[in-house]
Amino acid sequence: MTTVLEARDVHKAYGRHRVLQGAALAVQPGQLVGVVGENGAGKSTLLKILAGTLAADQGEVRLAGALGYCPQDPVITESLTVGQHLRYFAAAHRLPSLRRADALTELLGYTEFRDVTAGALSGGTRQKLNLTLALLHDPDVLLLDEPYQGFDWETYLRFWDVVSDLRSRGKAVVIITHLVFEQDRFDVLADLAGGRLARRQPAEGESHVRS
Amino acid sequence: MSAADLTRPAPPSPGPSRPASRQFSTAWRFALRNQTRNRLAGLLLAVFVPVWYLLMLAIAGHQPLAFRLYATGQVLTVDAGHLTLISAGLNSLTIIVGFAVFAAIRKTLAFDKRLVFAGYRQATLIAAKTLAITILAAAVACYTAVVLLAFWRPSPAGWLAILGSFAVIALSYGSLGLLLGVLVKNDLEGFFLIIMGGLMDTFLQNPLGNPLANKPILEWFPSFGPMQFAVGGSFGHQALWGHLALGLAWAAAFAAGGLIIFQLRTRSRRHPAS
Repeated sequence: MTTVLEARDVHKAYGRHRVLQGAALAVQPGQLVGVVGENGAGKSTLLKILAGTLAADQGEVRLAGALGYCPQDPVITESLTVGQHLRYFAAAHRLPSLRRADALTELLGYTEFRDVTAGALSGGTRQKLNLTLALLHDPDVLLLDEPYQGFDWETYLRFWDVVSDLRSRGKAVVIITHLVFEQDRFDVLADLAGGRLARRQPAEGESHVRS
Repeated sequence: MSAADLTRPAPPSPGPSRPASRQFSTAWRFALRNQTRNRLAGLLLAVFVPVWYLLMLAIAGHQPLAFRLYATGQVLTVDAGHLTLISAGLNSLTIIVGFAVFAAIRKTLAFDKRLVFAGYRQATLIAAKTLAITILAAAVACYTAVVLLAFWRPSPAGWLAILGSFAVIALSYGSLGLLLGVLVKNDLEGFFLIIMGGLMDTFLQNPLGNPLANKPILEWFPSFGPMQFAVGGSFGHQALWGHLALGLAWAAAFAAGGLIIFQLRTRSRRHPAS
């Protein structure tokens, strides 16, 4: 099967602190992959390298298709409204309409905040906006860093609806988290420890995570 | 609405020119909005400018002062209070525009990086920021020059010279705000450099109690050109365009430095598809 995202032998150090020491990952279309690690294990560093916002010291990352990246801390602008954020990112992705943005805000249940500035939003709603911005262009691979922090139960369930929809259309989703509540949801779970990824529960078929 | 609504394929995108122009129009409007949504800068504008004029006029008095016009070598005898009003206006603009642009750039740097990552053209964002800074600088300079009229009525040509010099210093410090916004590590460094830099720069040009004034070393300060242009126009009835251009050169140099660093800091390291 085609691999949509592949990382090989990724190394990264901050000064003398070696965060990643040969991490490897292969993600296939439609897969939901969870990368789990303690605080400070290098999860966000790995995700930034996968997303291409941070350069690795060594190793290779290959991506096929459009990428969506949702950082852990919402990267939004306090003085712009939700609607303005959506228009801004629709322009970035050169989308002809806001139809998908409308559908996502409705699905995640925050349509009524469309005219509210981001600075006045609750933590959970900021996180919804953060997620929407990563999903706006319907990416082939979605990288999510602790995506459901601050979500209430209803939103948490809606979040999984969005993920199911993406997977059913062959889109791959990689979630980085320090806590996994429902392991069954994931196709692959990989633990990040000692700078390397190790598959937690081998499933049938080929191994997707090389340690 | 359900998740199924998300699955509909998006209609085909129109040609490349429309999205590019939409990117620009969206970016400059939002950049301007960001720069003008700074309450502290707004408060400074409404209160600080008139109070600063009033205070500086009271301190300066109206004794005659010798001011050297470098373009002609002429030494003009000018009213200390009126000259100090020009210094006070220039100084207000360094602080307000420098601070507003610095704060806006700092706040949105990570967001701009995300926009570039999402496909925004860096050149478009840079052009949009430049336009937003120019509009902000021009508007604040106009306001500051209009408030000046409450304290002093120079000739119309003199006032226009002051307005021109105000616009150029506002551009220079807006550009400096941009440069510091992408360069310094924390907010305090930037605020300190803008406030102290602006104070030293503008008041050293004023011979009122300053032994350095009228000395050649002042030519190397950003407000030298605008101050010479304003004084030449309002007291000497001369348009020293070269000095106004000198101020613009400072603005261009700060902006170029800032935009190059902005370009480096927001670039995407995205890996090409295999």
